[in-house]
Amino acid sequence: MAEGESSVAEQEPSVAEPRTIDHYLHTDRFPHIWCPGCGLGTVTAAFLRAALELGLEKDRTVVVAGIGCSSRAVGYLDFGTVHSIHGRALAFATGIKMAHPEFTVIVLTGDGDGAAIGGNHLIHACRRNLDITTILFNNNTYGMTGGQASPQTGMGGYATTAPFGFDEPSFDLCRLAEAAGATYVARGTSYGVRQLQKLIRDGITHPGFSFIEAVTQCPTEYGKRNPPKGPVQMLENLKEKAISRKKAEGMTPEELEGRIVTGLLHRDESVPELTASYARMLERIRKSADE
Amino acid sequence: MELWYTHLMRETIDQDSLLVQGNRACALGALDAGVRFFAGYPITPSSEIMEVMARELPAVGGVFMQMEDEIASICACIGASLTGEISMTATSGPGFSLMQEAIGYAIMAEAPTVIVNVMRMGPSTGRPTTPSQGDVMQARWGTHGDHPAIVLAASNVADMYRLTIAAVRFAQRFRMPVIVLADEIVGHMRESFSPEIAGRYRLTSGDFDFTETYIHPEMVREVHPPHELGTLIHPHVTGLIHDETGFPTNDPKKSEQFLRELHDKVVHHRGELCLYDVKNVGKGRVAVVAYGSCARSARAALKLAEQEGIPVEVLHLYTLFPLPVEIIQELARRVEFILIPELNLGQYAREVRRLAENWTTVVSMGRIDGNLITPRDIVDRLAELVGKYESA
Repeated sequence: MAEGESSVAEQEPSVAEPRTIDHYLHTDRFPHIWCPGCGLGTVTAAFLRAALELGLEKDRTVVVAGIGCSSRAVGYLDFGTVHSIHGRALAFATGIKMAHPEFTVIVLTGDGDGAAIGGNHLIHACRRNLDITTILFNNNTYGMTGGQASPQTGMGGYATTAPFGFDEPSFDLCRLAEAAGATYVARGTSYGVRQLQKLIRDGITHPGFSFIEAVTQCPTEYGKRNPPKGPVQMLENLKEKAISRKKAEGMTPEELEGRIVTGLLHRDESVPELTASYARMLERIRKSADE
Repeated sequence: MELWYTHLMRETIDQDSLLVQGNRACALGALDAGVRFFAGYPITPSSEIMEVMARELPAVGGVFMQMEDEIASICACIGASLTGEISMTATSGPGFSLMQEAIGYAIMAEAPTVIVNVMRMGPSTGRPTTPSQGDVMQARWGTHGDHPAIVLAASNVADMYRLTIAAVRFAQRFRMPVIVLADEIVGHMRESFSPEIAGRYRLTSGDFDFTETYIHPEMVREVHPPHELGTLIHPHVTGLIHDETGFPTNDPKKSEQFLRELHDKVVHHRGELCLYDVKNVGKGRVAVVAYGSCARSARAALKLAEQEGIPVEVLHLYTLFPLPVEIIQELARRVEFILIPELNLGQYAREVRRLAENWTTVVSMGRIDGNLITPRDIVDRLAELVGKYESA
């Protein structure tokens, strides 16, 4: 940037005029590509409200996405943003975070991007416990390509590539992330936006790999083929199915069938974070070289 | 700048006669070129490069990552590159195939990085410990869509050091991935390697000495300034066709302009990018064009052929792409035929043929049994061809 030019970050709003999420948006890029009734914008807004709460600096925050409807969010965000390739957002983010541990690194991904093509990178990112916050937008389908089955479509779900009903089970993504070593695991929905915002905020402040599954609705592609139809009905369905972790604890697996367990599901602060342990290794090597 | 031998000095070896492996020389070149981020995945015959980086990078404060696969390796390198780090990865055929999509991304997003491919016999698992030059066309055209490519080929241990440095410089200057092709012979060979030997190289074109001011991004066309994530610019980086703002566009005019400019930044700097060496200029009736380990045999064949009464000119190419169009066409005007020995079924011979066929005959000498082409093989084939063309 040339001298004398001012940056967006320097234009502080006055105290009387509290910031809105527009602060972090390229509103000139609107209208966005998402369909009416889509939940991806709701989840993105929950992230941005969490960012406002934390006062994330645009210049020190990098948001990385893969390919798909959810990943298009980065095209509207006023941070350093990387719209990478399908399934590989976490691999890009690993390079960014390791090179610059001081950056806040957020990954936005979908159920196809993160759990199918990017599944391998997801489990290894969890295992490394690098301080990256991953928000996986789960809408149970490949929306951008027209409603094909994803790993999260679920048994009996319909999709353009499952015209007779899908006969594969889904992942429990949060249990997957926990088993793979993620040290902060949470789930929210696009109905429970305040809870989701809090979960994302706490995920960002957690020093380690944070995985937040945001269950959301795709009325255009998933809802068209699977009940309930319509965005309002789908949101009501999310509301009815969602159950807090505390309530779920006393329930049998049969009772929990089809329910969405929300809230903070796992947190472990005893595992060393990778950039910190790498820095300690460098320090050790430097000391032994000096001796 | 820290010089290469500082890394070697930690070894208790007599510096005047160091036997250094090609893969190790590559890693030392990377360190001297300023590479401070390496991500890779083990694969024969390139693993020694990542092993040296694992040991040496932390000592200079760099980052070494062993990733879960080659896709993740190159993606991590691109990620680091977008923050301004100088990054590199190394692999062989199967891993190089996995990297192709991300190489296209780095071209599109104008993210500099270096990919070293120590070639082995393919396709598929092939023969992992056997040399080959079968990835030449994949290095040029492996990723989808019309795209430019900068591909260098190393023929010995000193090349591994010098071409890796050249690759880093080219990548930074032209803001795109640069591919260094070696083969199993060059990667695993141990040769005497010292500052004296490294400095003895003289090329006909260009050289490996880059001036302090060499890297000026503004000297080549830029869609937007170098990305530096975490700066006031807040760049948006995408693999979609984008305009000067960095954001996607579907405008036909802007799309074509963008793609043409990606090509032009390479083609218009061919003179600077094409590194080569020509021996016996104008003295040969026939010529050999070679690269990689075959170029060593070609250089040795030159003396042998002279003794047997065949004056031959040898064009040793260090840069395969962009194609050294003018150099090959000038050569084609001078000689009766061009012989191209390579460890594949004539991948580069086809490129030379389409450039030279108006003036001369191009003969491919391919070998795919896993053995190298010896100087004797080349001289015998030359004698055969000379006889054939004289009797004709």
